[in-house]
Amino acid sequence: MVLDPQFIWNGIVVGSIISVSALGLTLIFGILNFINIAYGDYMATGAYLAFALNAQIGLPLGVAIVAGVAGMAAGAVLIDKLVFEHFRTSSPVTLLIVSIGVAFFIRNLIRAIWGPTGNFYDVPIEANPNLFGVRYSVEQLSIIVASLLLLTAVYVLLRRTRIGIAMRAASDDRTLTRIRGVDTERLVLYVWIAGGAIAGLGGIMLGLDAQIRPNMGFTALIPIFAATILGGIGDPKGAVAGGFAIGILQEVSVVVVPSEYKFAVALAALIVGLLLRPDGLFGEATR
Amino acid sequence: MALLDLFLVVGIIAGVYSLLAIGMNMHWGDTGLLNFAHAAFFAVGAYTSAILTTPTPEAGLLAERTVGFDLPVVVGIVAGTVLAAVLGFVIATTSVRLEGDYLAMVTLSSAELVRLVIHNEAWLTTGAQTLKNIPRPMESTVATLPVSYDVFYFLLVWALVGATYLLFERMSNGPFGRVLHAIRENDDVALALGKDVTQFKLKSFAIGAGVAGLAGTLWAHYVYAISPVMFLPSITFLIWAAVIIGGAGSYAGAIVGAVVIVFLRQVTRFIPGSVPFSDQMSYLRLMLVGVVLVAVLYYRPEGLLGNAERLQAGTSEGE
Amino acid sequence: MTLLSVDGIRKTFGGIVAVEDVSFDVDRNEIVGVIGPNGAGKSTTFRLLTGFHTPDAGTVEFDGEDVTDHSPDARARSGMIRTFQIAQELTGMPVMQNMLLAAQGHPGERAVTSALGIGGTSAFEADQRDRAEELLKLLELWELRDEYAGNLSGGQRKLLELGRSLMADPDLLLLDEPMAGVNPDLTDRLLERILELRDQRDMTFLFVEHDIDAVMRVADTVVGMHNGAVLSMGSPEEVQSDDRMLEAYLGGEV
Ligand SMILES: Nc1ncnc2c1ncn2[C@@H]1O[C@H](COP(=O)(O)OP(=O)(O)OP(=O)(O)O)[C@@H](O)[C@H]1O
Ligand SMILES: [Mg+2]
Repeated sequence: MVLDPQFIWNGIVVGSIISVSALGLTLIFGILNFINIAYGDYMATGAYLAFALNAQIGLPLGVAIVAGVAGMAAGAVLIDKLVFEHFRTSSPVTLLIVSIGVAFFIRNLIRAIWGPTGNFYDVPIEANPNLFGVRYSVEQLSIIVASLLLLTAVYVLLRRTRIGIAMRAASDDRTLTRIRGVDTERLVLYVWIAGGAIAGLGGIMLGLDAQIRPNMGFTALIPIFAATILGGIGDPKGAVAGGFAIGILQEVSVVVVPSEYKFAVALAALIVGLLLRPDGLFGEATR
Repeated sequence: MALLDLFLVVGIIAGVYSLLAIGMNMHWGDTGLLNFAHAAFFAVGAYTSAILTTPTPEAGLLAERTVGFDLPVVVGIVAGTVLAAVLGFVIATTSVRLEGDYLAMVTLSSAELVRLVIHNEAWLTTGAQTLKNIPRPMESTVATLPVSYDVFYFLLVWALVGATYLLFERMSNGPFGRVLHAIRENDDVALALGKDVTQFKLKSFAIGAGVAGLAGTLWAHYVYAISPVMFLPSITFLIWAAVIIGGAGSYAGAIVGAVVIVFLRQVTRFIPGSVPFSDQMSYLRLMLVGVVLVAVLYYRPEGLLGNAERLQAGTSEGE
Repeated sequence: MTLLSVDGIRKTFGGIVAVEDVSFDVDRNEIVGVIGPNGAGKSTTFRLLTGFHTPDAGTVEFDGEDVTDHSPDARARSGMIRTFQIAQELTGMPVMQNMLLAAQGHPGERAVTSALGIGGTSAFEADQRDRAEELLKLLELWELRDEYAGNLSGGQRKLLELGRSLMADPDLLLLDEPMAGVNPDLTDRLLERILELRDQRDMTFLFVEHDIDAVMRVADTVVGMHNGAVLSMGSPEEVQSDDRMLEAYLGGEV
């Protein structure tokens, strides 16, 4: 069986989006220790902010993207101050349910402002160029480049900066960090900024690849969950690897399963992964 | 009597949601299981009953469905309930041993898979299109009575809610519920005392899923026509909101929570005349659900009818 | 006659060897005390015996059957009940419910019988309430029967845990420091009760205890552990006068 390289290309594009998004989710989980169901809606918010600035106000897409990402970073901090901050000592399950409330609020706020139907960014429509039999679009190329840039930036942040190192330590062992006198609230602030910005970027990438819809992020949550779990929840490196694995698996699977069921592949990977490796691809328990 | 009609419609929806919330309360309230697949159980109940009670569509029509059984509605209701319970059992077997957060993600994903199947297997379900002409139980008999069909259906749904409530209350307060509560509190203790924890979790999952299936059948036979978009994960989240607002662990709370949620969603229907932002109203109402949910968790974590004393017990001395 | 036979069990966590080649037998109707300094591997041994850990090597035989691969609940049902070192009371359940939970073979624990109250559920339940009443009175917890277990004091929690395990009416009871935090008067009475149960109910006990006096009073055999291994085994006097045990304790305190 010859594998059409087109599928692999598509997989890399989708994998980039999932990786970036899973990275944000897993960072938030690592520090705050709960699954933020509203994360998909953070993604959608980033996508819509960029959409408003680009297609509605007419700013160039690049500017709109930067503003959308920054806007969502600020939004995540704002939501924390308004809501999550009041639940710092609550159990992870309570926080998860709180995030359901937040998700309801954001998603329907988006619908109330921009309506329920799909939208597109204002990008020039061109015929997709072709290289070695693989069709690709400028958007897809930029998605991949942007994701590589972001992943490198986060890597450097986590490895080289004091705050990043503190973040990793905290994600490994929260109480330990607190004992050593790291200001946890500062850390939480940074993680919302990073997580919110990454969510926003993930959403914009998703919008560039497909359509901007109010529930776009929410429906993308499942492959993102799958990547996060596969990589070991709370583990950034694992989330990225998991993201590419899921993305490529999903797109290549259309060779053997009907394409309507490619999402099922992510799910199957998730369940099999969980049963075989409850602690994620890279072993060591992070919880 | 437009207001009465409206009351009946909203009341029937509230009854269906109450059943869903009762099932969820068995999972979360009694057993501490994070079930996020409720929409799937609801859908399986609805589709099973609809497929069993409608005739095979005539060939050549828009619908691509090729199966239908034209069985009595009672058969559909029973089969829908049972099949949802079976699905609950199957989903639970893959995941019930997982820790809380993982269980939440796996069940949510499984529910989406179920919806994907319903969406794509058009030969069975009419796929993305609506499955129409689902019969209403005893419609011709009720037509001869001096009351409207909605009155009949309202009473039927609430009679079932009442019966289910009593049954679940007894289960929860009996020795079976005691084991579930022990599992909710601490798996290890239940194990150390010889309880087959996995088995009890599976049963809890199946029973709660069955009630959600029952709700699905009642929904399908009331609305005539169903489609996959009725079974999005947001149903699951609304039911979570209902259980939390009503008070996890309390079946009366589950019903109250469901009624509150349905009321919040439908309230503007009762306001006559035009309302500002009427286009956005349905979204604003769902935003309100989010706000109420968070507010309840903050100001009254035990919910409206939950047991605050139980939650407080043991928290005073640290962990 | 041997009730429990432990043969060469071993357990490591990462690099740490918690239990190393532990073997001993417990006869039916015997009271065996396990002593040893902190971190000796006593609780880990208990978890291995009761199925909460799977051993890396070795076997556990109970009542003539190899139970090494049996789940904790299966072992409990076959008559081996444990308590936890740190009392694991069900905080959100009243004292009485904690006790009733431990009843074995309750016909009402099936969903249908529970919902409909059939199959002898209520008669069985009434019997168990009587048993629970008797035990709670002995443990001085009767007044607190409707209190949430989470509201009890530390000592009361340990007592409830003991009562709960007695409710299960086991053949072998494994108690992990049952008297920690319990006042001395009550400790005396509980020890008497243990001796009584051994004689009347034909029970067998294996218990970890730091209170050496208590061990000396009731134990027929003592197992002394140190660094995951059995250091000394025999009559209470023999183990107490074993120099290696003394060293182990002193070494542990330096
Ligand atoms: N789950 C675990 N993971 C890692 N190490 C463990 C674990 N359980 C026990 N240990 C280690 O195994 C050793 C034996 O511990 P154990 O609890 O069995 O001792 P113990 O004799 O019961 O001590 P104590 O008297 O303090 O209760 C200790 O070094 C402990 O740190
Ligand atoms: Mg110990």
